[in-house]
Amino acid sequence: MGRDTIRVTKSRQRERIDGGDANDGAARRFNFFGALGVPAVAFMVVVVVIPIGMILVQSMTNPGPVNYATASESGIFRRSVWATLKMSFIVTVLCIVIGYPYAYVLARSTPRLRSILLIALMFSFWTSLMVRTYAWQLILNDTGAVNTFLIDVGLIDEPVHMIRTSFAVYLGMTHVLLPFAILPLYAQLKTIKPEVEQAAQSLGARQSKVFFSITLPLTLPGAIGAGVLVFVLALGFYITPQVLGGARNSYIGTVIVQRIQILLDTGVGSAMAAITLAIVLTILIVTSRLVDIRTMLGIKQGNR
Amino acid sequence: MKPGKVVQALSILMGLMFIAPIVLIFTTSLSKGTLITFPPDWLSFRWYREILSTDKWTDAFLNSAIVATLAALLSLVVGTLLAIAVSRGRSFIPNSLIIALAVGPLIVPLIVSGVGFYIVAVRIGLTGTVLGLGLAHSSLGIPFVFLNVLAALSKLDPAIEEAARICGAGNLTTFLKVTLPLVLHSAFVGSVLAFILSWDEVVVGQFFNSPTFRTLPVVIYAEVRSGADPSTSAIAVAATVVSILIFAITAVFGVLLRRRRLRSTLV
Repeated sequence: MGRDTIRVTKSRQRERIDGGDANDGAARRFNFFGALGVPAVAFMVVVVVIPIGMILVQSMTNPGPVNYATASESGIFRRSVWATLKMSFIVTVLCIVIGYPYAYVLARSTPRLRSILLIALMFSFWTSLMVRTYAWQLILNDTGAVNTFLIDVGLIDEPVHMIRTSFAVYLGMTHVLLPFAILPLYAQLKTIKPEVEQAAQSLGARQSKVFFSITLPLTLPGAIGAGVLVFVLALGFYITPQVLGGARNSYIGTVIVQRIQILLDTGVGSAMAAITLAIVLTILIVTSRLVDIRTMLGIKQGNR
Repeated sequence: MKPGKVVQALSILMGLMFIAPIVLIFTTSLSKGTLITFPPDWLSFRWYREILSTDKWTDAFLNSAIVATLAALLSLVVGTLLAIAVSRGRSFIPNSLIIALAVGPLIVPLIVSGVGFYIVAVRIGLTGTVLGLGLAHSSLGIPFVFLNVLAALSKLDPAIEEAARICGAGNLTTFLKVTLPLVLHSAFVGSVLAFILSWDEVVVGQFFNSPTFRTLPVVIYAEVRSGADPSTSAIAVAATVVSILIFAITAVFGVLLRRRRLRSTLV
C-alpha cells in the first residue's frame, strides 16, 4: 500500500514536470512506452528505410551514378514521365470536377440519400482495384458490354475501339480514384457551417452566387488536398494503365517494371524509381506550402 | 443549402457507377459457356464449382489469406506501438522521426516501394515467400493502424487515466487496463484495413510472385492480361465477397461494442 502511494506520487510528479508534453529538448528520459517504440521503429527501418535506401544504393553503384544519365536520356522513360504527368493531371481534374457534386450532395442532402450514397461509395473501396480494372476491361472490350449494346441497337456496325487507348486509361483511373477525391471534399464541405450560406442567402444572394462566392472558396483547401492525393496516387499506378492502356504509350510504372524484371537492369530501374520518388516528394513539398499535409492524412483529426 | 434536383440525380447515377463493376462481373460469372459474352448466356454456377476444385485458385486464395493475416497482425502490433510511443512515450527517438517513418509508406508510390522490396528480397532470398510478402505488405498497413490509434489516443479524456492513477494504479497498470482497452477497437479497425490492403494488393505481389507462390490478385491480373473467362469473374466475385464480409463483420462488431459501452455508462 505504502509503496503504491509513493509510486503514484512519483508518477504524478513526473507528469507535472513534463507537463504531459513528452518531447521537448534534449533532457528527455526514457519511459516504458518510449522503450516499446524502439523495436517498432527498428521494424520500420527494416521495411521502409532499407528498401528505399537500397533503391538509392543500387541506382548509384550498379554500375554507378551513370544510371541517372542513362535513365534521363532514355527516350522511353522520358516519354513515360510526360505521359504519366499528363494522365495524372487529367485524371485529377476529372476527379475533382466529377467528385465535387457527389461530395456536395453527401454533405447537404437528407440522411436517407446520404447513407445510400455513402454505401455506394463504400462499394468502390470494397471492390478491389484489380477487380474494378477488370470490370472496365469487360465494358470497353471490342466484344464488351458497350460495343455489343451499340451493335445490337444498330447504332454502329463495327466495334468502336476503346480498350488499349489513353481514353480507357483516363476513364478507368478516374473511376478508381474518385473516392479518394470525394472523401476529403466531403470532409471539407462538412466543416462549413450552414449559417454561413444562409447568411448570404438572407442578404439576397442567389443560389449560384452563394455557391461560387461562399462555398467554393471555403472548400478550396480540401479541393487542393484531394487533388494532390489523387495526383500522387495516379503517378504511382501500374495495374490500371497496364490493363487498359495501349502498348504505344507506356507509363512510368510499366517502364520501371520492364527495366527491372525483363531487361534485368536493376541499376537503371532503381534510378527511374528514385526519379519517380523525387517527383512525388517535390509535388508534396510544394503543395504542403498551400495545404497542411497533416490535415490531408488525418493526423490532425484529434485537435479539430 | 440543398443541392438541386439535377445534381442529386447525377450523384445517384454516380453512386450506381460505384456499384456497377461488381454487378457486371457477377453477371458474367454466371455464364453457361466458356466465353464472356454480352448479354451473358445464363444461368449456371459451374464456374464457382470450377474455381473451388482448381488448385491454381484455391492455392492463390490460401496464399492471399495467410499473407494478409500476417500483414494485418504485424501492422496491428507495430502500428499500435508506434502510436503509443508518439503520444505517451519518451525516448531518444524524436516524435517527428517516428511519425515520418509511420506515415512514410503512404507517400511512397507502390511502384517505387515495390522495387525496393524486390531488391531487398532478392538479396536475402525472400521473393516467393509468405514471410517476404507479408513483411512488405505490413508496411502498407502500418500507417492506417498508426493514424487510427493516434487519433483515438489523442481523443481520450486525460481525466480517465488520471482517475486510474489516483485510484492507485501505476503507469503500466493504467495503460494496460485503462488506455489500451479504450483504443484497441481503433487499432483493430486499422488492422482490418491492413488486411484488405494486402488482400487486394497486386503491384508488390507481382514483384514477389514465383511459379509456386502467387496471391489471388496476382493470378487475377495474369488472367485479365492473357484473356479472362467466366472463371476469372467468379474468382473476382469471391475475392470481393470476402472483402465485403470482413468489412461488414467489423462494422457490426463496432456497433455492438459502442452499444455495450453506452449501456455500461448508463448503468
